[in-house]
Amino acid sequence: MAAIIERRNFKDFDWLIAILAVAIVSFGVWQIYNAQPNESYWSKQIIGLFIALTAMFVVAFTDYRRVIDAAPFFYGIGLFLLVIVLIPGIGMRINGQQCWIRVPVVGQFQPSEFVKIPVILMLAKYFGTRKDGTLKLKEIFIGSLILAVPVGLILLEPDMGQSITYFPILAVMLFLSAVKMRYVVLTLVAIAVMMPVGYWVGVQTGKLKGYKKERIDVIIDPESADPRGYAYHTIQSMITVGKGGLSGIKGDTETSQSALKFLPEPHSDFIFAVTAENTGFIGCISLLLAYAMLLSRLIAGARQAPDRAGMMVIMAIVGELAFQIFMNVGMVLGFLPVIGVPLPLMSAGLSAVLATFIAIGFVISVKMRRFVN
Amino acid sequence: MKLYDQAQNLGIRVGTIQVVAFVLLTILGVRLYYLQVVRGDYYENKAENQRIRLIPIPAPRGAIFDRNGKLLVDSRPTYNVTLSNEPIKKIDVTDRLDDYAQGMNVDRQFLTERLDLIKKQPGFETMVLKENATIQDITWVESHEMEYPELRIEIQPQRFYPLGTTLAHVLGYVGEISPKQLEKPEMKEKGMRPGDIIGKGGLEQYYDDYLRGKPGYRKVIVDSRGRVQNEIEVVQPQAGQDLVSTIDLDLQQAAEEQLANSVTKRGTIISIDPNNGEVLAMASAPSFDPNAFVMGSATPEGRKERAKYQLDEERPLLNRAIQGRFHPGSTWKIPESVAGLQQGVITVKDSSLVCGGGIQVGNRFTRDLSGNHGTPNLSSAITHSCDGYYYRLALKMGLDGLKQMVENFDYDKQSGVDLPNEKISQTPKSYESYVRKRDKGKWNDIETVFASIGQVTVNVTPISMIRAVSSVGMQGRMYVPHLLKEFKEIGAVGQEGDANYVPARPSVKFNHPEPKIVEMTPEQNDLVLKGMWGVVNAGGTAGRFKRANWDMAGKTGTAQNSELGSGGAKDHAWFVSFAPAYKPEIAVIALIENSGFGASNAAPAVMGVYDAYLAKNHANLLEGQQIAKK
Repeated sequence: MAAIIERRNFKDFDWLIAILAVAIVSFGVWQIYNAQPNESYWSKQIIGLFIALTAMFVVAFTDYRRVIDAAPFFYGIGLFLLVIVLIPGIGMRINGQQCWIRVPVVGQFQPSEFVKIPVILMLAKYFGTRKDGTLKLKEIFIGSLILAVPVGLILLEPDMGQSITYFPILAVMLFLSAVKMRYVVLTLVAIAVMMPVGYWVGVQTGKLKGYKKERIDVIIDPESADPRGYAYHTIQSMITVGKGGLSGIKGDTETSQSALKFLPEPHSDFIFAVTAENTGFIGCISLLLAYAMLLSRLIAGARQAPDRAGMMVIMAIVGELAFQIFMNVGMVLGFLPVIGVPLPLMSAGLSAVLATFIAIGFVISVKMRRFVN
Repeated sequence: MKLYDQAQNLGIRVGTIQVVAFVLLTILGVRLYYLQVVRGDYYENKAENQRIRLIPIPAPRGAIFDRNGKLLVDSRPTYNVTLSNEPIKKIDVTDRLDDYAQGMNVDRQFLTERLDLIKKQPGFETMVLKENATIQDITWVESHEMEYPELRIEIQPQRFYPLGTTLAHVLGYVGEISPKQLEKPEMKEKGMRPGDIIGKGGLEQYYDDYLRGKPGYRKVIVDSRGRVQNEIEVVQPQAGQDLVSTIDLDLQQAAEEQLANSVTKRGTIISIDPNNGEVLAMASAPSFDPNAFVMGSATPEGRKERAKYQLDEERPLLNRAIQGRFHPGSTWKIPESVAGLQQGVITVKDSSLVCGGGIQVGNRFTRDLSGNHGTPNLSSAITHSCDGYYYRLALKMGLDGLKQMVENFDYDKQSGVDLPNEKISQTPKSYESYVRKRDKGKWNDIETVFASIGQVTVNVTPISMIRAVSSVGMQGRMYVPHLLKEFKEIGAVGQEGDANYVPARPSVKFNHPEPKIVEMTPEQNDLVLKGMWGVVNAGGTAGRFKRANWDMAGKTGTAQNSELGSGGAKDHAWFVSFAPAYKPEIAVIALIENSGFGASNAAPAVMGVYDAYLAKNHANLLEGQQIAKK
């Protein structure tokens, strides 16, 4: 009995997704090495990849429906982690943010990366069980509440970048739960209007000032920004990307932007700039194509999902990944402000890789069970 | 599937999400294309500019020697703490100034000024914050390397004037090029940059192009904090050429000693070789210490010291030898005698004129200050400095005669000495228009009378006077006085054909212009010379300085002046001479300001220089001699 299940599972296992993900991480390891060859980030990332792969297989061979059933339990654990990270002594304060928990053997991990999964599960559980008809306001409210609690806790750390990445999860869930199109349009228009208005009001009232204002100003007009101030990251990132040219620098890695420390955070938030410098336009486009393939493959899986909750889990992950890629690369390319959003599968960081692979494990699990029922 | 049966357009909605995701990725792709392909070169350039830095290696400036190879000016290595311009574009160092001030023990106000300067002039690579850094300063900077990467220790050859005030006016000094000088097209042509050191005054300025070397540089790669990571290329500097001057340091020191021992300690002594115009000594007192303009020149103390020189009423910065203009008094009679003979107003055979103890011009009698000399001939008039004689001679010559004399002896020109800012003498020629304007178009005889004894409209530079008078010893040849003997050769830097090859600079000798010839017959020359010989050797005005074996020819001068208060100020004392009288080797002129009689004040100073000359060159002549000292 068990043997039969195993065989079918392996046959239906979506190897392409796994291979794409591993390929991107491996490419990322090379870039992390390029960024900081003398640091241990790249070797840690390799270890992280193996841990993440193991986790992915475990999740993939677990029946996702049982996990979704247990969503409230995981959600509760998630909230618990987000609370204890705020407690001094348990949470570690780095750069003014308290978003790390030290774990004796593993090292340190970032709860906000992992809590996305229980949030997705919780929302999938809630919206996956509903039936026909358009979304009611009450449902929107409850969905928002499920999201708002962890996001609120993350904002207390404070980690602006991480909290922003939670919003596409809800957006996708609501969109797929047949929220009325007029709400969608209304929201988009509101965002389009609110951004410039918010900037203007923020500047006028003095609420938007200091580094936040500078980080936005440099996007609007990079040439007249103060290169010593908070525009520094954006300017250096654009220089690094542009310098890569069509095919990237060849040899002479001693004079790279990251080796000379012009590029800040080259192994994590600005890993795409390192990629751009080392592999040029060709390498970057290849990477974006790999992301596109991965997303397509995930979406294809969503279309084949055996139930609504499974589809929603996959699409939430798709939305989440696409949003993070856009935010991170947009920041590196100098048209989005600098907020700490890592590039999925590329940026060094065990928590992020592990969380992403667990999500991918879910997708595989959903896909594997497409013929069940 | 059941999922899509529901009327929620779920398939379309999933498709929409897919399209949105692809649109976002496409936006990224387009932006990438713009940054990397379209603007790739621009950013490559930017990246290179921020990582490549040229660190100049200063070139040692050529040294200056006297004619016997004695060192006059040198450069010695000093350590400076500098502020690099590049890193401070990224970090604001204003709030670090307090730390700098404390760490290096410098004035905060000074640091603020330096910072303003570097911000105003983007051409600066580095700006000196502290010169002559001590071991403590260097230790402080090095131990704060991580905190203040913008600070660097640079070794810099600094100009050093070991003799202090000695020869200061001739040597000049060096300093940072001023923003005003940088504007000049010739400076731009030479590729001068802010912070460059150039000569200011004296030989340092006149021969700056030869003395200044060609700086080299280190091309390095720096990291974001300006720390040097790697050296790409080193171009060695080419040192400046060493200058050998015509100065004889022993004579120079003797001359300065004479000025220091004089009554007022103000004046000038020049000694030249009349055979070629080489300047053996040029002293001007009071003097200044050029080191004050170099060491710590930008510090408040340095500025105070310079201001002191500039405000001093005795004007120590003035080189009286070439920039001072004084009434020549009776020394003026020597060129005048030559001119009288040239113009035929007197002849060798009949050169006698009445003295009369003075002259009546209109209703005014102008006295001969030394009494009535009867009817002397020219030699006697020179020997005894007969004013009455020259009143009449000049009246015979007239204004035109005086003007011709001025032109003949180059009193309307610079002597051509190789020093900057030489003044031109003032004479009846230059004063004529002023006098005629004042006196309703007339030049009255009384002006001629005053001019005949080197007063009122006659104001000459000592250099022009020694040049003119020594021509009498040289049968009329007036050489261009000069201080350069030669520039030593300096070797090439690098291999020929290299991009950074700097060719060798050959040895350069002073390019002697032809001497100006003052026309006179040997008989006329003899007559004037005889008078000058008599001044010292035949009971003349300087008779008490006669030497048994050293024939001097000279002329005293005692010039009235009203420059320093009316009547109260004493006369300027002159003595101009050459020796030996009939085959001169050396000429010496002394001017002692407001000291009184030329014979009592200037002549002894000249004798002091001759003594030094004899001790060095004709020691045998001095044996058993009573050395005339004041």
